Amino acid sequence: MLPLSLLKTAQGHPMLVELKNGETYNGHLVNCDTWMNIHLREVICTSKDGDRFWRMPECYIRGNTIKYLRVPDEVIDKVQEDKNRSDRRPPGVGRGRGRGGGHGHGPDDASGRGGRGGRGGGRTGGPARGGGRGR
Amino acid sequence: MSGRKETVLDLAKFVDKGVQVKLTGGRQVSGTLKGYDQLLNLVLDEAVEFLRDADDPLKTTDQTRRLGLIVCRGTAVMLVSPTDGTEEIANPFIQPDGA
Amino acid sequence: MLGGPGLESVVDQIISVITNDGRNIVGVLKGFDQATNIILDESHERVYSTKEGVQQLVLGLYIIRGDNISIIGELDEELDASLDLAEVRAHPLRPVIH
Repeated sequence: MLPLSLLKTAQGHPMLVELKNGETYNGHLVNCDTWMNIHLREVICTSKDGDRFWRMPECYIRGNTIKYLRVPDEVIDKVQEDKNRSDRRPPGVGRGRGRGGGHGHGPDDASGRGGRGGRGGGRTGGPARGGGRGR
Repeated sequence: MSGRKETVLDLAKFVDKGVQVKLTGGRQVSGTLKGYDQLLNLVLDEAVEFLRDADDPLKTTDQTRRLGLIVCRGTAVMLVSPTDGTEEIANPFIQPDGA
Repeated sequence: MLGGPGLESVVDQIISVITNDGRNIVGVLKGFDQATNIILDESHERVYSTKEGVQQLVLGLYIIRGDNISIIGELDEELDASLDLAEVRAHPLRPVIH
């Protein structure tokens, strides 16, 4: 699965984005592109030290300033669904060696994920950590 | 891929509105968006830079300096957001999880 | 083993990642791309300290940008299970300075 496919699937979901400068942004993903540039809505920005907060209606973040994104657990299951749909092609056709759909997942792979969702709710809430660790 | 236009955010809706821009290196400016291109070069009018803490250049202060009409180089733009509706707030995360 | 130059062989396995800011994140590799952006599922961060044992923070589903990754390694689950992290003391890593 490609990281950008997961990100694309996360559209409409809340997420946390940490930038290289340590600032974090909590908001709903509106859109993203192949450079990982993202557009968030209803955003809360937290300063590097986690001591100041700003609310902004929306923001555009350039992909190359991102350190990581935290997305809701259930999004990964939705990617699988999409993948299954696009995987309905004759097996063994095309694709020179290498990855892609690979790793021997059958199309029913998505059903294999159980026992998740321990920590429901609240994900729209706080940053993973109250800001940075002051590094 | 290179032919794809910047569709993530349509800056047209911000033209003649106040925007806040964060640049790589830590500078932060706000001004009225007068123009832009697909490389995210921005023209800001009546731009103001938020000065930074002398001890910690990553922290901005409320002190400003007036820059006037400026061009922000697209490659240096990290973040764009509308000034309208942006405000500093108290800690909205009552209980940070995982901490 | 990390067979070949790519990460194909460790997909769906537990990996340990050191990021440029000195964090150690452990999780299941679900995917990656040319830029070494990775998807980590069920991930947690291990926070090292000299004063107390290793703290584990639950992170969940993460996309980590390749730019921010220093090291990716397989995690030997057996060896890892035999560690008593609560007793491990270590200096936190310093961030990479560019």
